[in-house]
Amino acid sequence: MIRPAGRRPRRVPVWPALVLAVTVAVGVVVALGLRSGPTPPGSDAGTTGPPVPAPALSGPTLDGGRFDLADAHGHVLLVNVFASWCGPCRDELPLLVDAGRRWSPQGLRLVGLNVRDGSEAVRALLDETGAAGLTVLPDPDGTRAVDWGVRGVPETFVVDRDGRIVDRQRGVITRQWLEQRVAPLLAG
Amino acid sequence: MLGELGTSGLTAGLLCATLTALLWLRAALFGTPTRPARLATAATLATAAVACGVLEAALLRHDFSVRYVAENGGRRVPLYYTVTSLWSALDGSLLLWLLILGGYAVLLAGRRYPARLHAYAMVVVSAVTVFFFALSCFAANPFRAVDPVPADGPGPNPLLQQHPAMGVHPPLLYAGYIGLIVPFAFALAAPLAGRDGRGWLRVARPWTLVAWTALTAGIGLGAWWSYAVLGWGGYWAWDPVENASLLPWLTATAFLHTGLGPGARRAGWNLVLACASFVLVLLGTFLTRSGAVASVHAFTDSPLGPMLLGFVLLAVVASTILTGWRPPERASRAASPALSRNTAVLVNGVLLVTIAAVVLIGTIFPLLSGPLGGVRTSVGPDYYHRTAVPLAIVVLLAMGVTPALRVRDRTRALRRLAVPGAVALATVAVVGLLSRPGLPTLTAFGTAAFVLTGLPGELPERLRRSGRGRLAGLVAHTGIALVAVGVAGSSAYGRDAERTVRTGEVLRVGDVSVRLVGVDRTGDTGGMAVHARLRLSESGGTERTVTPALRYHPARDTAVTVPVIDTGLLRDTYVTLIAVSPDDGSATLRLAVNPLVGLLWAGGALTAAGGLGSAIGAARPRRRTGTAGEEARPTSVPVRAGAAG
Amino acid sequence: MRWRPVAVTLVLVALLAAAGAGLTRSAAGAGQDDPVRSVAADLRCPACQGESVADSRSPIAAAMRQAVADQAAQGRSRDEIRRWFVQRYGPDVLADPPARGVELLLWAVPALTLLAAGYAARRTLRARPRRSGELPTAPPAAGPAPGGAARWAWRWSALGLIAVVVSVAVAARGLDRPRSDPTPADPVAVAVGLARDLEAQDRYDAAAQMYREALRDRPDDTIRLRLAFALLRAGDAAGAAQAATETLAHAPELPDGLLVLGLAQRRTRPTEAPRTLRRFLTVAPEHPAAPEIRRLLATRP
Repeated sequence: MIRPAGRRPRRVPVWPALVLAVTVAVGVVVALGLRSGPTPPGSDAGTTGPPVPAPALSGPTLDGGRFDLADAHGHVLLVNVFASWCGPCRDELPLLVDAGRRWSPQGLRLVGLNVRDGSEAVRALLDETGAAGLTVLPDPDGTRAVDWGVRGVPETFVVDRDGRIVDRQRGVITRQWLEQRVAPLLAG
Repeated sequence: MLGELGTSGLTAGLLCATLTALLWLRAALFGTPTRPARLATAATLATAAVACGVLEAALLRHDFSVRYVAENGGRRVPLYYTVTSLWSALDGSLLLWLLILGGYAVLLAGRRYPARLHAYAMVVVSAVTVFFFALSCFAANPFRAVDPVPADGPGPNPLLQQHPAMGVHPPLLYAGYIGLIVPFAFALAAPLAGRDGRGWLRVARPWTLVAWTALTAGIGLGAWWSYAVLGWGGYWAWDPVENASLLPWLTATAFLHTGLGPGARRAGWNLVLACASFVLVLLGTFLTRSGAVASVHAFTDSPLGPMLLGFVLLAVVASTILTGWRPPERASRAASPALSRNTAVLVNGVLLVTIAAVVLIGTIFPLLSGPLGGVRTSVGPDYYHRTAVPLAIVVLLAMGVTPALRVRDRTRALRRLAVPGAVALATVAVVGLLSRPGLPTLTAFGTAAFVLTGLPGELPERLRRSGRGRLAGLVAHTGIALVAVGVAGSSAYGRDAERTVRTGEVLRVGDVSVRLVGVDRTGDTGGMAVHARLRLSESGGTERTVTPALRYHPARDTAVTVPVIDTGLLRDTYVTLIAVSPDDGSATLRLAVNPLVGLLWAGGALTAAGGLGSAIGAARPRRRTGTAGEEARPTSVPVRAGAAG
Repeated sequence: MRWRPVAVTLVLVALLAAAGAGLTRSAAGAGQDDPVRSVAADLRCPACQGESVADSRSPIAAAMRQAVADQAAQGRSRDEIRRWFVQRYGPDVLADPPARGVELLLWAVPALTLLAAGYAARRTLRARPRRSGELPTAPPAAGPAPGGAARWAWRWSALGLIAVVVSVAVAARGLDRPRSDPTPADPVAVAVGLARDLEAQDRYDAAAQMYREALRDRPDDTIRLRLAFALLRAGDAAGAAQAATETLAHAPELPDGLLVLGLAQRRTRPTEAPRTLRRFLTVAPEHPAAPEIRRLLATRP
C-alpha cells in the first residue's frame, strides 16, 4: 500500500486489525461456499433417505376405476407425478409405460399422479405418448402430490413390496435409472 | 467488424485507465501537473463510450456475430427494449458501469479541490476503473465472435421487456452505486493527503448526495418494476438483488447524517461509513453478479465470482489499512449533552448500521452456512420482518424526535414534541380500535404520524436559515414517513384471492369483483399470448373490462404474466392471470386489493427530490466564514446550511 | 392558569389509554386475518428460487397453498401445519429455520454489530478533556512526500495495479465459458435420444412415435430419415416410403433416402423398387449397405 512517510513508531490498533481478521475469515468461508457452487433447490435429484412408509394414495382413476395403494401391497410400485403442461413429463412417459409393460410379470405396477390438470388434456397426452393404458389418479388441486412431498413435476417414487418409499427421482427418469433402482427390487 | 471494434475499444480503455491511474499517482506523489492525467481520464471515458456505442449499434443492427447480441438480441424485440438490452445482461451492463464510472471520473477530475486530496482520490477512482476494464476485457467481453452466426437471437429476458422503467431503472441504480465511489475515494485519499485531506468531508458531501438521490430513485423504480411486472403483487421480497441495493443505501444514509456539522466531531464514523458504502456496492455486485445466491432478479449469471470476491476483499483491506492506521483528523472530545442532536445522529447511525448488518448477514447467509456445516438455504422475509422492521421503526422515531433536540431548553423541546406525540397516540388509538393491522403496522402508523406532524414545527427554523437546500431535508423526511405509511398499510390491509373460475363465474375480494367473460389466444410478434377478458367492478364504481395476460416467449421458453393494475388514490386493484385451462373454459386468477401503494411511489419520489435539493444546496454552499478553500468549513455552526438533516 | 396542565395531563392519559387499548386489540388480532397466507409466507417454495409459497406462481406452490388451506380448514394449528410440511419436505421448507447451529449467526452478527456500534457511539459522545499536545489534527506530512518514500510508493503502487490486471487476466483464462450459458435441454434432442433407446431395444413402433413427436417440433430431414428407418423395421412399409419420399423431395440424391424408399417399395410397389435401388447404387456405390443391395438385385432381377 501507499505509505508516503512512516516515521513515528506505531502500535497496531485493535479495531482495524479485528476488521481485517474478520474480513479474511469471512472471505475464506465465502470462497469455500463459491467453490461448492450454488445448489438450486431440488437439484439434489436422486435423494435416497432411509425408506419411509408411503403416504396413503387412493381414489377414483381417470378411466372410472379405483386405485388404492394398499391394494398394491406385494407389488413394486412406480408412482410418476406428471402433468400435461410439463414438457419433460411428455418425454419420459413412453419410457415408463415401456418399463411397466416389460416388468409387469415380475410384479411392477405403474400409477400416474396427474397434478393440477384437466382430464381432456391428460387423455390427449396419454393418447399421444402411447400411454393410454396407464392408471392415472387425478390430483386437480395438487394436494396429494404435496402429501408425497413432491417438489416439482416430473417426479417419480419407487415404493417397494412392503409399501415403503425406497427411492425418488426429481426430474426426468432415464432407462439407466430404472435399471439401477427398480430392477433389483423386482429381482428380490 | 463491430466486434473487433468493440474489443479494441475495450483494450484501449484498459490501457487508458491504467495510464490514468499511473498519471494521477505521479501527480499525487511528486506533485507533477495534473493536465496529462485529466486528459487520460477523458480518454478513458471516450473508450468506454465507444465500447457502449459499438455494442448498442450491434444490437440495433442485429449483428448476431457479436456474442452479446446473439445471446440477448432478437429481431422481434421492440426498438425500445433493443436499446435497453445493452444492460439486460451482465457483460453489457458492465459496459454501462464503465461508462458511468468514466463519467464520474471526468466530472471529479474537472473540479478544483486541494491538490493532493484530489490526486489521491483520482488514483482510487482510476484504480477501480482499471479493475472493471480488466474484468470486461478478459472475463466478460461482450464482443467475442460467434461462430456460426445465428439468424436470430432469443432477445433479452422476457421480464425485462415488459416495463418502460427498464430504460431508467438500471442506469439510475448504477449512477447511485458508482457515485458512492467518490466519498470512498476521498475517505481513502484523506489520510494520504496530509493537511490537504482535512476538508474531505465537505467536498465529498455533494457527490454523496447525488449518488444517494440516484440510488433512492433507482431502488424506488426497482420496487415499482417488481410490482408491475413480477405479477405477485408485491414490491419488495427481501431478495438478494434488492438487498444488495438497500445495503449501500443504508450506510450512505447514515453517512449523510454523521457527516453533518463540524467534520472533526464524528471523524471515525464518517471514514468507516464512506468506505463501507462503496465496499457494500462492490459486495452487492459480487453477490448478484456471481450467481452465488439465488434470486428472482438474477438475470445475469456469470463466472466472475472469484474475481469480484477478490476485489471486495482487496477494497476492505485497503480501506482498513488506510483509514485505520492513520486517521486524518482525531475525533474531538468536546463534551455534548446527553440529549443532543449529536446523540440523535449517532443513535440513528447505530441503528442504520445494525439494519445493514441484518440485511447483510441475511443475504450472505446461504454462502456462509454451506461451508460452516449448515444447510445451504436462503433466509425468508420473516427473518427481516422480525429484525429489520422493528429497527426501522425506531429509526423513524429517532427521525421524529431529532428536530426537537435542537432546542437547548428541555421544556421547550418537550412542548414541541407534545402535539406530534398526541397525534401519534390518537392515530394508534383510532387505527388500533377500528381495525387490527398487527403490532408492527400500528407502531409504524403511529411513528409516521409523529414524524409527519412534527415536520411543520421545524419549518420556521429552516426558513430562517439561508441556503438553497434548506428545505430539502424536510422533504426527504416527509417522503420517508410516507413510504413507511405505504409499506405498513399495504402489507397490513392488502387482501387477495386466487381461484380457478369458469366462464361467467366471479372472484371477489372485499367489494371488488372480477367476472371471467372469456379467454382469447393471440399469436403476436414476441410469441403466444393468452388474455383473460374480465369485467372488473368495484362498489361505487362503474364496471370495466380488463385483460390480464399470460405471454409465452418461445425463444426463452418462459411464460410471463402481464398483470393489470388499476391505480387509485387510496388503493390499487391488481389482477393477474395465472393459468388457463386447455379448453379455454376456465382460468386461474389472482385478484388483490393493495391499499396505500400509491403513497410508496409518492414517498419515494419525495425522498429522491429531497436528496436532489440537498445536493444542489451542498454543491453551492454559501460562504459563511468568507475565506476560500478548506477554511470555509464551518466549525462553530452546529448545523450547516443545506444539510439533509 | 392551573387548569391547563391538568387538562393536558388528562388528554394525554386518555390518549395513552386509548392507544394502549388499540395496541392490545391489534396485537391480539394480528395474524388472524389470513392464517393460510401467513403460514404459506413462511414456507419456501421448493421449485423456485428464493420465493415463498405464498408469493410463487409455480403450480407446486399453488398446490402447497391449497394443502395449507385444507389443513387450516380442518382446524390444525400453524405449528402442526408447519410440522406436517417439515415431515414431507425437510426442515429446508421453512423460510425461517429455528435458530441453532449456523443459524445463530443470523442473530449474533446483528447483535454484535449493535454492541460494537453502540460502543463506538458512546466513545464518540463521551466527554474527555483533550490532553495537551494531542491536537485535533496531526497531519503527518505536509506538502509532497519526501523523495525516497515517494519513489518507493510509486514503484509498488504501479506494480500492484499491474498485478491486479494480470490476476484478472489469469483468472479469466481459467474460466470455462460454456458453463456460463447452459443451453436448455432441447426437447427434440431428448425425443430423438429416447427414440434411439427404443430402437436399440427393437421397439420400432414406439421409436417411430417418438420420431414423429420430434418431427412435429422440428421438421428436420435427418429425423425424418430415422423415422423412415424405424417405420420400415416396424413393418409399416407405406409409412416408411412416404417419409423417405418427403426426405427425397428436399434432397433427391440422398443415398439413405433412396435406400429406405427402395426397401419400402419392395413391399408396396415391387415393380419400382429395383429402379430406386439401382439409383441408390449409382449414387453411393461405396455405401456399407451396397453389397447387400447388389445381392438383393441379383437374386430378384
